[in-house]
Amino acid sequence: MTTQVREIPHKVNIATSGLLSWIMTVDHKRIGILYLFSAFIFFLVGGIEALLMRIQLAQPDNKFLSPDVYNQIFTMHGTTMIFLVVMPLAAGFGNYLVPLMIGARDMAFPKLNALSYWTYLFGGVFMYSSFAFGGAPNDGWFSYAPLTEKAFSPTHGMDFWVMGILMLGLATTIGSINFIVTIIQLRAPGMTLTKLPLFVWTTFVTSFLAVFSLPSLTTAVLLLLLDRQLGSHFYNTAEGGSALLWQHLFWFFGHPEVYILILPAMGIVSMVIPVFSSKPLFGYPAVVFSTIAIGFLGFTVWAHHMFATGMPTASLLFFSADSFLIGVPTGVKIFAWLGTMWKGKLRFMTPMLFSIGFVALFLIGGLDGIHLAVVPVDWQITDSYYVVAHIHYVLFGGAIFGIFSGIYYWFPKMTGRLLGESLGKWHFWLMFIGMNMVFMPMHVLGLEGMPRRIYTYGPGRGWEIWNFIETIGAAIIAISVFIFVVNFFLTMLRAPTHHESDPWDGFTLEWTTSSPPPNYNFAEIPTVRSRRPLWDKKHPELADWKEETA
Amino acid sequence: MLRKYIVLVGGTILLNACQPSPTFLAPASPIANHEASLYTIVLNMALVVFILVEGALVWIVIRDRKRAGDEKLPHQLHGNMRLEVVWTAIPILVVVVLFVMTVQTVNAVAQPAHLKSDLNIRVVGHRWWWEFDYPDLGIATANELHIPVDTTVQVALESVDVIHSFWVPQLSGKTDVVPGQHNTMWLTSDQVGEYLGQCAEFCGTEHALMRFKVFVDSQADFDAWVANQQQPAYQPQSEDEQAAYKEITGACAACHSIDPAEMDTDKVGPNLAHLFSRTTFAGGAFDLNESNLRSWLKDTQSMKPGNDMQITVPSQQLDQIIAYLIHLK
Repeated sequence: MTTQVREIPHKVNIATSGLLSWIMTVDHKRIGILYLFSAFIFFLVGGIEALLMRIQLAQPDNKFLSPDVYNQIFTMHGTTMIFLVVMPLAAGFGNYLVPLMIGARDMAFPKLNALSYWTYLFGGVFMYSSFAFGGAPNDGWFSYAPLTEKAFSPTHGMDFWVMGILMLGLATTIGSINFIVTIIQLRAPGMTLTKLPLFVWTTFVTSFLAVFSLPSLTTAVLLLLLDRQLGSHFYNTAEGGSALLWQHLFWFFGHPEVYILILPAMGIVSMVIPVFSSKPLFGYPAVVFSTIAIGFLGFTVWAHHMFATGMPTASLLFFSADSFLIGVPTGVKIFAWLGTMWKGKLRFMTPMLFSIGFVALFLIGGLDGIHLAVVPVDWQITDSYYVVAHIHYVLFGGAIFGIFSGIYYWFPKMTGRLLGESLGKWHFWLMFIGMNMVFMPMHVLGLEGMPRRIYTYGPGRGWEIWNFIETIGAAIIAISVFIFVVNFFLTMLRAPTHHESDPWDGFTLEWTTSSPPPNYNFAEIPTVRSRRPLWDKKHPELADWKEETA
Repeated sequence: MLRKYIVLVGGTILLNACQPSPTFLAPASPIANHEASLYTIVLNMALVVFILVEGALVWIVIRDRKRAGDEKLPHQLHGNMRLEVVWTAIPILVVVVLFVMTVQTVNAVAQPAHLKSDLNIRVVGHRWWWEFDYPDLGIATANELHIPVDTTVQVALESVDVIHSFWVPQLSGKTDVVPGQHNTMWLTSDQVGEYLGQCAEFCGTEHALMRFKVFVDSQADFDAWVANQQQPAYQPQSEDEQAAYKEITGACAACHSIDPAEMDTDKVGPNLAHLFSRTTFAGGAFDLNESNLRSWLKDTQSMKPGNDMQITVPSQQLDQIIAYLIHLK
């Protein structure tokens, strides 16, 4: 690997240690850690909300939560996990890793980066403050109009939700533009787009998805705010407004959003599996192309959330066909991961376990998703617990498992410490078992006619046993998260021992610098000749650049 | 101890398995039957993919694990164009097959053009109960729908407030009940029976207690039911009943009608004309009997928090009113 000397830029650091150094920082690594840490706290909060719901539903006719509280809790659980957990966790990894992976010294706009983080944090805290001001939002994470109109939701909860969503959308837009410019402008010499690490690719595509889909959400919530505060009638059906306008605007954002949540996790898995298989990613161009294809197709399927709204047959079939098509690039990815592991030398450290768990669970989420694209079947299972099962196989089995894979994998990069392996394995196996205990029975409940978002159900419909098993599974997940937290603290109490090392025998540029990296990341900007620059350095006789001539 | 526990858990699972769920996999109509068949086909296709892919994953994990002391590097395979084309083409074929089956079933469950509707019903979603009107028969009822067996029923869906969704799994998939929009669906059933339904679109506080039942009656039973519903409400006989009647047609009438033919009203509560011909009340949430009704009238908010009936019937009137209401058969 040849190197090129560039001047190390002078960074203004108002403080280098202590609380102020975190508050004032514009360093992408610190901002990344702030994102990850804040999002993890919200993950715990959202998890507690999930536990409260599972306690309420453990038995029929339970009085543990009042309907009013339950509705606030499920709304905040969904809103939290999507907007305050998975998106910012991905943003955290993106901030920390993208500059390191492309051989840059920081993001393109470090100050905007800080603005993005603080806007996100404020938006999240603002939304949660609604609990203290007359009640949290209570109309679900997709908040269908006209239920959200003042006539039906008179507390300020929905106003907090609207304002919070506006702030979070702003934060994501700023962050996404920053990623796009960084990836286009700041790549190390030689790192063409065909040599980008997969995680950078997924962050790139995700950023475009966010920039193009968020305006629709912003419009939707602004119109709602006008309805609620200034008496306009966009969604007010009593005055000639449209109930379905909200659904079109929301899902035009909402479906790309699903890919915004899952693509970064796919990027993580596409980095982890090759390293722990000691092989390059199988079919890199196909995986990149499938990512881009998912990005485009993601904008053409929004109305599959609306099959029961009374759409004309032609529209039903159009959106059904597009939804099926998304299965193809998704399948390509799954085969590519299997092809990468094929005849590799698999090492089952915790990051790899979570990535394999991702593949196993995401496949289930994909297959039950196919059922939802089959219009007549969707009429039966939409808005039932089947959908709850599906989104959690995709977003918990998928996104969260991918993110935990990333946490275990890059923890030594961020801290110079390896998370404990045996606690890590406990964490993985308990989470894997608990996850399946909670979400597999939800398929059965949906088929047995249990609608989602009900705070209670009567006995005698065959729903009790599955709900009870789910609640036990939720407790097992809670234990697994507790083990992770213990592992974190035990690890942080130890002295860092991996400053210089490359503990996983990694492939990409982030492992060529110290752990944690210096403020300027690289003393010398590397020149890149292949997709695995560090592999080439370790194995010059098998260097990728000899293979990648095409 | 353990054995006892296993027996207990096993028993609970068995007991649950025997309970009738409102599932489209036990269809009671040609529509649900088509949906269930298609579901079964898609499930089986998905299971094949599941077993192949998860099987391959497990096999690779076992076979290709790194053995201790094996430091040889694996072959650095970057891809295989032929293989990648194959595993892109196969899913495309599968989804084409799925799409063709989807189109076929969408057509199969649509109302056949030659089948004229024999019965028109209007479903009106309220927070949180269902109004069922039979405009041609002059009947307005609530939370329990009666239809005759082997009849084509045309259903018009309307909402007076927010979006609801009409779902009787064993008879048909969902159709949303959207305010400001006239959705329609059709129902038909070839099996006499009682089928559970429930609102499937979150509609606020008591979404969970917005349930209903559909009774598929024999033609004779249906005719008898119609004849009874068309009768005017029971007229008060005694003095006590007179007093109750005055109250019900007075204060209660702000929200409830006891004219069985009064539909299309802006009344927020269900028609009471033949209340006790029904088996449940308050959005299908509770069995209709004297003691449940007494608890309800004493304190509706503790039974169904947030519902629109924010009144308490004074105890001196309670007995009179209940005594009258149970005559409303």
